[in-house]
Amino acid sequence: MTFGELLERHEREIFAYVLRLTGNRAEADDLFQETFLAAFRAWPPPRAGNERAWLYKIATNKAIDRVRQTRRVVPLGDLRLAAPERDGVTLSDLATAVRALPTGQRAAFVLRKVEGRPYAEIADTLGCSEEAARSRVAEAMKKLKEAMR
Amino acid sequence: MNALEPLVGEARERLVARAKREGLVTVGYAVADSPLGPLWVAVGPRGVVNIHYGTTPDQRELARITHAYGPGVLPDRRSCDRVLTELDQYFAGRRRSFDVPVDLAPLTSFQQRILAATARVPYGELATYKFVARRAGNEQASRAAGAALGANPIPIVVPCHRIVATDGSLGGYAGGLAAKRRLLALERGEAEVPAGGWPPSRR
Repeated sequence: MTFGELLERHEREIFAYVLRLTGNRAEADDLFQETFLAAFRAWPPPRAGNERAWLYKIATNKAIDRVRQTRRVVPLGDLRLAAPERDGVTLSDLATAVRALPTGQRAAFVLRKVEGRPYAEIADTLGCSEEAARSRVAEAMKKLKEAMR
Repeated sequence: MNALEPLVGEARERLVARAKREGLVTVGYAVADSPLGPLWVAVGPRGVVNIHYGTTPDQRELARITHAYGPGVLPDRRSCDRVLTELDQYFAGRRRSFDVPVDLAPLTSFQQRILAATARVPYGELATYKFVARRAGNEQASRAAGAALGANPIPIVVPCHRIVATDGSLGGYAGGLAAKRRLLALERGEAEVPAGGWPPSRR
């Protein structure tokens, strides 16, 4: 396999994934580049046939690294999502709340609830147990519900 | 088309540019439209390494390329610009020989000599397998010459379509015999390429 083949095969879904993780195009673009460059530098992929999971893992770790570096996590308590004068919450409220989740929970939430991945795969991507993956998703759901209240 | 597609395209372009700056890219490839159908074209640090009839590379050729240049084989139209332009000019009848450098280094020295002899057969002319074998230093090796030409990694630019059997029959061609006939007719000035290329059924 060449790097070009890896790129052509997985670029769309990895871009979609990092776009959901970051919620903005410029950051998604950076994360996309960091992910594939890291894969390139670490060439060859550790297991043939498992390149996709490998890329998801790199992307997730890079997203977590970025948050650690920039410390831009917004504490959920600071959010004023449902303004009392508004009728209801909007999709952009939800997007804001998803962005405010800690990266590990956000990645678990996106992989499970947006991309519909099985927990075994999410655990593999996030480098945690299935149980931990379930509890991250549950925790993310709980925070989102609170934020939407 | 998916709304994400242009964003992914731009992200990919930036990725390739960055990988190039970091020296990770060794071979750039692109798919060209030609009157004979799509051509997969790859250019390495020393010149054109492969032209393949189709939108995807030949896996054996790809293995040869990665063996010689590592996995840094990336979609990159820019590094293919020159050969794509020359191919366009050739198909339009405005170019009789290619100036773009070709890289035959990963081949055996016999294959290289056969292809070098082939490259010297002028536009619009024919030579036999026996002739190129002789020019490559072994007149007895016309069968081996045929095999080397059958495995020519850079058709059109290295004009193996100009090589025919001693009895005048066409021999073989990677792009199909219809393609070989088209190229020869084009070079004899007998066939103008119709707008949009030749119909696929008759290629």
